[in-house]
This record gives sequence, structure tokens and C-alpha cells, in this order.
Amino acid sequence: MYSLVAGFLVCVGLLSGCSSGHDSTTQLIVTGSTTILPIAEQAAEGYQKANPGTSVLVSGQGSSAGIEAVMTGTSEIGSSSRDLKPEEEGKGLVDTPIAFDGIAVIVNPSNPISGLTVEQLRAIFSGEVSNWKQLGGEDRDIDLVNRDEASGTREAFKKIVMTDDAKFDRSAVVLPGTGQVRDVVARAPGAIGYISVGFVAPRFGSLPVKALPVDGVEPTKATVTSKKYPIARTLHFFTKGEPTGLTAKFIEYVLSDKVQQGVVVDAGFVPVSDRDGR
Amino acid sequence: MSVQNPAASKSELTLVSRETQVKEWLLAALFFSCAFVAVLGVALIFAFVGWKAWPILGEVGFGDFLFGTVWAPSDGSFGILALIQGSFVVTLGALALGTPLAVGTAVFLSEIATPRIRSFVRPAVELLAGIPSVVYGFFGVVLLRPLIGELTGSVGFGPLTAWIVLAIMIVPTIAALSEDALRSIPMGIREASYAMGATQWQTIYKVVVPAAKIGIIDAIILGMGRAIGETMAVLMLVGNAPQFFAGVGEPVSTLTSQIVMDMGYSTGTHRTALFGMAAILFVISMALVLMVRLLSRLRD
Repeated sequence: MYSLVAGFLVCVGLLSGCSSGHDSTTQLIVTGSTTILPIAEQAAEGYQKANPGTSVLVSGQGSSAGIEAVMTGTSEIGSSSRDLKPEEEGKGLVDTPIAFDGIAVIVNPSNPISGLTVEQLRAIFSGEVSNWKQLGGEDRDIDLVNRDEASGTREAFKKIVMTDDAKFDRSAVVLPGTGQVRDVVARAPGAIGYISVGFVAPRFGSLPVKALPVDGVEPTKATVTSKKYPIARTLHFFTKGEPTGLTAKFIEYVLSDKVQQGVVVDAGFVPVSDRDGR
Repeated sequence: MSVQNPAASKSELTLVSRETQVKEWLLAALFFSCAFVAVLGVALIFAFVGWKAWPILGEVGFGDFLFGTVWAPSDGSFGILALIQGSFVVTLGALALGTPLAVGTAVFLSEIATPRIRSFVRPAVELLAGIPSVVYGFFGVVLLRPLIGELTGSVGFGPLTAWIVLAIMIVPTIAALSEDALRSIPMGIREASYAMGATQWQTIYKVVVPAAKIGIIDAIILGMGRAIGETMAVLMLVGNAPQFFAGVGEPVSTLTSQIVMDMGYSTGTHRTALFGMAAILFVISMALVLMVRLLSRLRD
């Protein structure tokens, strides 16, 4: 919902942009994934500081909204934490991977459970298992916390975990942002959710959550890079056609060592070069 | 005053100059167009929503749309019955909690409070109406949700949390209109009651409140309109699971919150279905306004 507010601000920005004549040489709009939001926002700040007179507007409304926006031309860049769906392919979108990410399964720190398998996760999120006791934990109801359908994190989790036609339990709480999932799981003793590895560590005094090993592998930078951790994905910037002008310059900036080894690493993601090079 | 040609009747005494008449006419036209903008706005929105929602009848079908029990757009299932139920569960619960609070406030302000106390209680209630709903939602998520979670043994998203926050949100609407209704009861009626030896409490609940009954019901219906259309706070609190009501601590979803959740990325039939839901909300609020109008006719 903060993302909706951000989206509204972008709309306002668009309107004011219209009145002063939207100029694609000085203004760039990046819409999409809430997972990529910290990278995009900090990169935008850095880019604007280094290039006075340009403005990069960033909003997070979910990966699907980002892809929709870049296809309709309301944004120059659509950020997405999932791959294109079959119906979105062949429409001239060009993919630039900007980082790698693992999806961590998080529970409340008071939960004694020490790890889950992908099969167990599937049973939990499809609602087949409803008490932690069935998984070797304490006798407590499992409170599922899911993401909304626009979320790339949900899409990636679904693709990797909810195989064999498994469906998400419809009674799960649906929250429209990574931060909210984290906050709820940090406070509710029986809750389980999934968020990007980059958001697991507490920041700005937020409460801790516990990331569980999946199939015995801890979600760390090393295991995501080496592809040992099973729930991993690529973070994308999509553009309509090959990026040009300001769009190309901004993407180049995001892929530069300064951002990749700075913002991307600080945000807890894995730089693209780390996997390509080694 | 008839329009006169100043050239032809220069000798006649004209009470209003030609200039003044033109000004009067222009002002009348200006105010007419102001009122017309509101009517035009309603008509355009109605036409637009209807036009965008219409294809749902062909793509999903009236029965499957309105009475379908499964809302799963990614699986091509567009039944909104659970969402309609969610909207009404959330609204009616909020009314049940908020109405006594609001009518109590109105009775206090109109019948009991001294002018001094009234002079700061009334602005406080009015201020409640000015707080943005996202602030209410934030308050609910941060303060109320953990408490409700402990109480119900869940994560705390669900009707109960939404009821409490919405109840506070509709108090200003219902209280202000109820107070107007109570104050419009002539003093003579109260005096007659006191003259019969009734106490203040007896006067309130046997004479004044029954006399203002229709005005208070009006206020409650308008409060209901406010509650059913509320989006942001509800979205933040209900948990947004499109399932039927399963308990006060179990998540539900409503028409308004589902529209906001989905509108950013929906396409095709999904988008049409969202407009269909908007049309349903439109019909509900029209029905509420109609009820208010019928009631005020009853009062007259």
C-alpha cells in the first residue's frame, strides 16, 4: 500500500510532467517490483546526484504492474522480480538482469522449527498442513502470509515451490508488500511467509525474523550465488526495445560496479557479475 | 421586471439597469453550470463504469459473476459472492459497533453537554472526519492488529480489526447528522415532557430520540454508505483473502479492497470483472441514497 501511495505520487508526477512537457531526455520512470524498490530508489538518487537536471521517478506496485506499464509506455523501465509469462513474451520487451536473489522462507523467531523441505513448503502453502506440530514443531496453528497476485516474489515462489498444480491456500492473509509480510511474521508467533533474502536482516530497528534453511540449505549470499539454495531467481529491468538515451545511461549506471558492489550488495542481493564471472 | 430596450425607453424609469440584469443572468448561468458539473460527473462515471463492466455478462455470465464463490483471476474464476459478503460483513459489523457510539455522542452533544463542553467535544468529533483513511489504517495495523492477533490467536487481520477502525471512522458522519436531527426537535416537546414529571433520561429515550428517529436512521444509512465505500483502511486491515467469512480473526476481502489490489496489473476479463464490481458498488450506494430520500419523504 505504501507502493500504491508511491504509485499515486508517480501519477501526480506524470501529470505535472505533462504540463511541463514530459521530456524523455531528462525524466525517466521506473515502475514495478517492490523487491527491487530499494535498489532502484538508491540508484536513482545516486544517478540524479551525479547528473543534475535529470529526474528518475521510482515506484513499486508489483512486477506485473511494472511489465504492464512498460508495455503500455507509461514507464520507460519495468522492474520485475519474475520472468516474463508466456503471454507477455514476443511483445518486444528487452530483458536486462540486474541482480540475483533468493526467496527466504521466514517464521517468527520464537518458532522452534529448524528447517523445511520444498515438499513441506508446498503442503504448508496449499493448506494441507495447518499445524506446526505436523512438521515437528509446537502445537500451534500455522498462519499463512501470502503476497498479492501482482507480486513477482509470489510468482517466483509459485513457480519453484507450488509445482504439480498445487494451489495457494485461499484462506491465507494477502499483503501487498514485502515489508508488511516481514512485519507481520516478526510479530505473529504462528506465521510463515516468504520474502526476498535481501529483506531478512532487520534494518532501521525493525523486529527480527527467522529465515529457515530449505532442503537443508541456508539462504545466504553464497548459496544463492552457487545456486545451491533452491528458491532463487533473477531480478530484471524490462525495456520496450533496446534501451536508448537516458534509459540506457541509467541501466548502465545500475550495472556499474559502484551500484552492483554498493547498493545491490548492501540491499542483500547478489550482483549479476558475481555469477557470470565465477 | 421585464427586459427593456434602453434605447427605446430612455425616458422610462428603469429600476434595474441593463448591466445588472446581464450580471444576474450570468450568475444564474454560472451556478446552474456548477450544479450541472455534479450531475454530469455522476452520469459520466455511471456510463463509463457501465460501459466497461457490460462485457462481463458475456465473458463470465451474470450468475457466475454475482453468485460464483471462487475469486481466482489467475485461474480464470471470477465469482464475487465472497467479496460481496465480505463487504457486508465488514460494513454491518462496523455499523453495529459505531452506531451506539455515534448516537450516544449525538445525544450527549444535543441534550446533555453544557455549551462549554460542547464547544470542544464537537470540533473533536468533526476532526475525526478529517483524518485521512490511510492514517486510520496505519493506526489499525500497528496498534490494533497485534492486540487482535493475541485475542483471536491469529495474525490479527480480519473483520474484527476492520470493524473497530471503521466504527471510529463512521462516528463523525452518524453523530453530526443525528445531532442535527435531535436539535431540530422543538424545545416545546422537551418542556412538555418535563412538565409531565419525566426525568432527563426519560425525556431523552421516550420523547426526543423517538421523535428524531427517522433523522437518525438517515444518519445510519449514510454512515453505512461511508463504511461500504471505504477502501484504504479496509485494504490494510481485512487480510484480503477472497474467502467467505470464517471467524472474526480470519481474513476476508471486500469489493473495494480487491479492486485496489488488482487494478494495477489486471487485464482482459479480470479488468472487466473489476469494473463489474465497481458497478455493483454503484448500485449499492444508489440504493442507500434512494432509501434516505424515501425516508425523508416519510418524515415530511
